Amino acid sequence: MHKYFKNMDVLGKPLRDKVRDRNRDSAEALQKQEAEIRQAKDQTRQFGLSAEKINSRGQLTIWQRLEILVDEGTWRPLHTLYNPADNSDCTTNVVDGLAKINGRWAVVIGFDNKYLAGAWVPGQPENILRVTDLAKRLNLPLIWVVNCSGVKLPEQEKFYAGRRCSGTTFYRHAELEQMGIPILAGIYGTNPAGGGYQAASPTILFAHQNCNIAVGGAGIVSGMSPRGYFDTESAQELIDAAQKHQASPPGTVDIHCDETGFFRFVFDKEEEVLAAMREYMKKLPAYDLDFFRVDDPQKPALPADDLYTLLPANPRRTYVFEEILGRLVDASHHMEFRPDYGPEVYTGIVKINGLAFGCIGNRQGLLPKGYPEYADYPGIGGKLYRQGLIKMNEFVTLCARDRLPVIWFQDTSGVDVGNQAEKAELLGLGQSLIYSIQQTDLPMMLVTLRKGSAAAHYLLGGPTANRQNAFTLGTAATEIYVMHGETAAVAAYTRRLIKDQQAGKPLDPTIEKMNQLVEKYHETSRPLFCAKTGLLDEVADLNEIRGYLEAFAESAYQNPRSICPQHNMILPRIIRG
Amino acid sequence: MAAQIKAPLAGKVISVLVSPGETVEEDDEILILEAMKMETSVYALAGGTIAEIKIQPGDNVGEDDVLMTLE
Repeated sequence: MHKYFKNMDVLGKPLRDKVRDRNRDSAEALQKQEAEIRQAKDQTRQFGLSAEKINSRGQLTIWQRLEILVDEGTWRPLHTLYNPADNSDCTTNVVDGLAKINGRWAVVIGFDNKYLAGAWVPGQPENILRVTDLAKRLNLPLIWVVNCSGVKLPEQEKFYAGRRCSGTTFYRHAELEQMGIPILAGIYGTNPAGGGYQAASPTILFAHQNCNIAVGGAGIVSGMSPRGYFDTESAQELIDAAQKHQASPPGTVDIHCDETGFFRFVFDKEEEVLAAMREYMKKLPAYDLDFFRVDDPQKPALPADDLYTLLPANPRRTYVFEEILGRLVDASHHMEFRPDYGPEVYTGIVKINGLAFGCIGNRQGLLPKGYPEYADYPGIGGKLYRQGLIKMNEFVTLCARDRLPVIWFQDTSGVDVGNQAEKAELLGLGQSLIYSIQQTDLPMMLVTLRKGSAAAHYLLGGPTANRQNAFTLGTAATEIYVMHGETAAVAAYTRRLIKDQQAGKPLDPTIEKMNQLVEKYHETSRPLFCAKTGLLDEVADLNEIRGYLEAFAESAYQNPRSICPQHNMILPRIIRG
Repeated sequence: MAAQIKAPLAGKVISVLVSPGETVEEDDEILILEAMKMETSVYALAGGTIAEIKIQPGDNVGEDDVLMTLE
């Protein structure tokens, strides 16, 4: 099969200076937006105590620990801006991402010990659930850096209990272990109550000598005599008891290494814990990726920085999807599936670091005359029509058969509407695509290049495909909404306008509401909002997308749950004919 | 021999990206047309020199209207 994958067509053409000059404003607008997003990310890294303060206590910060733990240049952060509970003093107080550790990919997560010594906070459970989902989807080891002081007590009602709460993590750990996914945990600091289970629920525990894990911490042990009130006498009792327990907190290494043996390993220095975890990664199952490679790894033939010129910041401007793809895939190679059918979407096989993937993306701009074939109006890219939906159904199904993970590039305004579209079965074909995706057991990754809108956001590999979508990446140009704000204002207020006019009332108040709605749609669809609310798992600079593709690609093939022999693949043969 | 560049669909001319006498190559973006809520690029189907431009920004054009000629 190597002939199929080594002799592929080439995507894209080198950029000419006049194109670069013409699109300079757009490129600068994207870069300005990226700078704002990077600033927001930097701010989240600085929550809590300074590194100097933490270091003065003889500890490393989570960022310093990660720097030691992961292989240089492989950290692909996720959920940096995720803050679904709208916390004002932190985000979710955990840091996570994909990274290589000693040459193997892992899902990595750690508590931010700069804020409340790594406490549980509102919104954090949803972050952790996304992370355990990711480990599950990619069949990757989950690596924890635990330093968890337990519940942020004044806000416990927001996350302590429930189906998707902080405690769900422990159940999820058991679930991952049932699936054969190992969880390694490096344990630092004081980890009482929830922090104790957080530390105890992974598979193998690597402890720092000063850490402790316990069912209840000193605070609880010293204060477990409720009288229904507090007075000076009871306050003094608390002070005395707490001082005694602080001197000797429960669950130290003496107990959990020497007595219970929960800690498999104990180390004197913080760095030694991380070094041991790195070493242990070698013991975990992982294919050498050469096992699955269809070609030598190659960089794209065209530079990633061209993306700033090629992807218009203005969402109404069209572009050539193949030019984008040519800046992202190995050697800018591809093999297109059914190029003469369903022109509004690209479907084809591409390579990332020598590994084969199915790729699907919206094309933009005017579609060929006579398309869609069922309608008396012209077709425009970004929308989905009958043939495109049929083609994607076929492609996804064939990718599933050939065990080709799928990368989606979304920039969609929706599915075609109207009675002609209904007669053309678009509703059923859209749902068929959801069915086709659900029937697969493929890891998928979505890049929302610009618009994610209407049901098409679900159909095109959106995060609603809970079991398939590993993560969703956004760009500075991303906007996600059910429909454009102006369209929504028309839908919501046109009848009101008619009634107002018929009643002889002034139109201005309704017009003001329409404009307010447009403004709200704008604010709640931009990258920062999408990242904060979790509509995106991360917003990346355009020239960082390739790095995420590589992380996904190598992760998806590191330990796949099923395999298709390359010489049994049918999709490349269907393409070649 | 002059070739006509026609409007692929009805719409409004947003911007003209070339000038008379300018040399273009095949697939060069020469004009932007607004239609169906999108700003769609019109590309040169062949290389040549722009001989005449028959439209200007703001003009409404119908499908197959001649926009430019190329020599």
